[in-house]
Amino acid sequence: MKRRIPLFLAVILVASVFFVAWQPSAEAQDMKTLTIASGTDIENTDIHTVTSSPSFSVLEHIYEPLFEMTEEGDLEPLLAESITASGDTSYTIELRQGVTFSDGSAFNAEVAKANLDYVLDAENGAVFRFLVVVGGEPATVEVVDEYTIEITTSIPFAPLPAHLSHGALAMVAPAELEQGAEFMATNAIGTGPYVLTEWNRAEEVILDRNPNYWGEAPAIDRVIFKVIPEAGARIVEVEAGTVDVAVRVPPADIARLEANPNVDVVVTPGLRTIYIFFNVTEPPFDDVRVRQAVNYAVDKQAIAESLFDGAARVSDAPIPPAVFGYAAQEPYARDVERARELLAEAGIEEGTTVTLYHPTERYPQDALVADAVRAQLAEVGLDVELRTLEWPQYVPHVRREQPENDIQFAMLGWGTVTMDADYGLFALFHSSEHPPGFNGAFYTNPDVDALLDEARSTLDSEARQAAYADAISIIWEDAPWLFLYSEIQVTAIRNNVSGFVVHPDESLIATYADIEE
Amino acid sequence: MTKFIIRRLLLAIPTLLGVTFFVFLSLRLVPGDPAIALAGELATPELIQQVREELGLDQPIPVQYANYVFRMVQGDMGQSIRSRLPVTEEIQQRLPRTLTLASVSLLVSSMIGIPIGVFAATRPNSWFDGGSMIFALLGISMPIFWLGLMLMILFSVLIPQWFGLAGPLLPPTGSGTWQHLVMPVIALAANSMALQSRMTRSCMMEVLREDYIRTARAKGQRERIVIYRHALRNAMLPIVTIIGLQFGTLLGGAVLTETVFAWPGIGRLLVDAIGFRDYPIIQGTVLVIAVGFVLTNLIVDVLYAYLDPRIQHR
Repeated sequence: MKRRIPLFLAVILVASVFFVAWQPSAEAQDMKTLTIASGTDIENTDIHTVTSSPSFSVLEHIYEPLFEMTEEGDLEPLLAESITASGDTSYTIELRQGVTFSDGSAFNAEVAKANLDYVLDAENGAVFRFLVVVGGEPATVEVVDEYTIEITTSIPFAPLPAHLSHGALAMVAPAELEQGAEFMATNAIGTGPYVLTEWNRAEEVILDRNPNYWGEAPAIDRVIFKVIPEAGARIVEVEAGTVDVAVRVPPADIARLEANPNVDVVVTPGLRTIYIFFNVTEPPFDDVRVRQAVNYAVDKQAIAESLFDGAARVSDAPIPPAVFGYAAQEPYARDVERARELLAEAGIEEGTTVTLYHPTERYPQDALVADAVRAQLAEVGLDVELRTLEWPQYVPHVRREQPENDIQFAMLGWGTVTMDADYGLFALFHSSEHPPGFNGAFYTNPDVDALLDEARSTLDSEARQAAYADAISIIWEDAPWLFLYSEIQVTAIRNNVSGFVVHPDESLIATYADIEE
Repeated sequence: MTKFIIRRLLLAIPTLLGVTFFVFLSLRLVPGDPAIALAGELATPELIQQVREELGLDQPIPVQYANYVFRMVQGDMGQSIRSRLPVTEEIQQRLPRTLTLASVSLLVSSMIGIPIGVFAATRPNSWFDGGSMIFALLGISMPIFWLGLMLMILFSVLIPQWFGLAGPLLPPTGSGTWQHLVMPVIALAANSMALQSRMTRSCMMEVLREDYIRTARAKGQRERIVIYRHALRNAMLPIVTIIGLQFGTLLGGAVLTETVFAWPGIGRLLVDAIGFRDYPIIQGTVLVIAVGFVLTNLIVDVLYAYLDPRIQHR
């Protein structure tokens, strides 16, 4: 009996710890709560240092930028009211009046300048600083009057408002900004429709409605972003009704969820294009016929259907359709005969070996896609050797400068996060962007350069659209890439939820949502 | 005994230093640069270089290690590269969750597993013996990942459907209430329980053949006392060792369970950090796991002396 007592006590002790420590938090039952099952936790709450879309999804409910890009790709003023060109390289921005931060402080031109200056100051390490570093020179910000600022860039830069719509350039309360990065990593004071109530790391972020929001009050009182890394568990949660929204539904589960009367499956085109770039300066891919042949040889449609169950969109331009400036081209449909002819014309012998680099576990199904490309190129007589590297090693390896760069072709993805073609085309196809820039193909075409420069220099959106359409058509013909597909986001939403927005930039927006109890 | 504990704790210091050294070195030998992971695919080389300098990664490895150890003895484990929050804070948040999950699952599994083993050993080749060993085999063979999802579907989707309940019987994922604990504990305990019952059975059967058991029975001792006081106590040594090892492993290794059930424990912290080359977090968590192992081993050794007074720790 003597020995039983400690064991008995231990059980009681452990049990009581549970009942005390694990009491359900007193949750207000009458609150309208929307729970979103997210795959990943936020990195922190400092909008200047986070890089992942789950972080921006949460923080964009708290912080607002000067402009916003709607899910339809329209640029609209948010904390700004208008933008006008006040010179070749100067832009005057009128700010919205009567906006306050959730700590009660006022938003005005001084605050906007302080925020942009914080990002511009390289010492602060803002990851998205490059959005306001134009033509290699940081922009400058001047206060004109209480509600007007002027931004000057070193070159004419029409995509500026699109850049200013990025979440990383949102406005942070001056009191928070002054405290510095360490404070901002766990605190969030913005002008947005929600305020940060609680962040339980790796578990959930709880946002509550901002009672003093300057805009229309949202219908949902509380938004919970719950971290559930395993896709299967997210699906169970949305089926059980314990969450209202589940992100990143695996293609294999789409059919089952569609059969569930309580759940809607929502498909949203994404901003990330997956491609394989050719080094166009070295044989065999210095010959446009070889590059086109590879484009004809690979069956993108089959990849989208068999590897993604249709949750991928075959590329018909180097940028996806949600991006401003997109212009659809005729996709290179699979044509083995044509590919063989082109290869023969170019003098490529049957059985020529080429090396394809690809990352693994970086993009959905990336390694499988590379293997599918290998198998399909074998059918036209190209012998592909695959080389896999882990992501942290991969990017520096495939983007080395010439002449040490020996890459023949390699897979990458590019998210046009500003939703403006400049960001998706300039960095990848302009000849000034050869590695160390992002133009890993070393692609050079003076006509494309001129069109991309021209589209930067005017705020006239029709003229920009036309220039991008011309540039895209030349790029399509030159085929510096094997154009593959753009990603599609599949989200499961309980059907009593209305107005929930899945943005092409992967943000999940609860602000306009409502829920029927 | 106190002297023994103090000596063991002092001996742990070089062990732990060794652990930090090897983790530190192996992280630097693995290719991949956290500066690039941090700066993302959008980064310019200048930004990457700046990040590298900020993180002190531009310095020679011996200097980095010396700095690391110097700060660590002052209680500063550095800052996470990804979240930019202090490592100690990140670990403090996660460690209690892991400890809870590990200790409750082991408590549950040993409270069921050991009696099953004893029962089976005292009735060898009976239907209970056969049945319990098949059960144990199932427990060892079922992948936690699969078992977790099946439990979730059963308790959160199917049972409410069958019985027309308004909500799920148990919350599928997360932590916070005792209900959240049920499914992860079943998934984890199924495995360790199986091992414990098999271990108990074989040890008990061996001990039951010993002379002193025959003696105990011969002097007319009640069977209950023979089994629990004479046999089980002697059979406990290897069982305690197994439980100690399981606890040590659970401290760092419940990654699958933590992932399936979105349990914010230290295993997930470590795996996420490895993917991101978050050196300070990896170093910190591995160190904490190593400390856990050392302490568990110490407790096991102390328990030896309690279970078998012939073992004297000096």
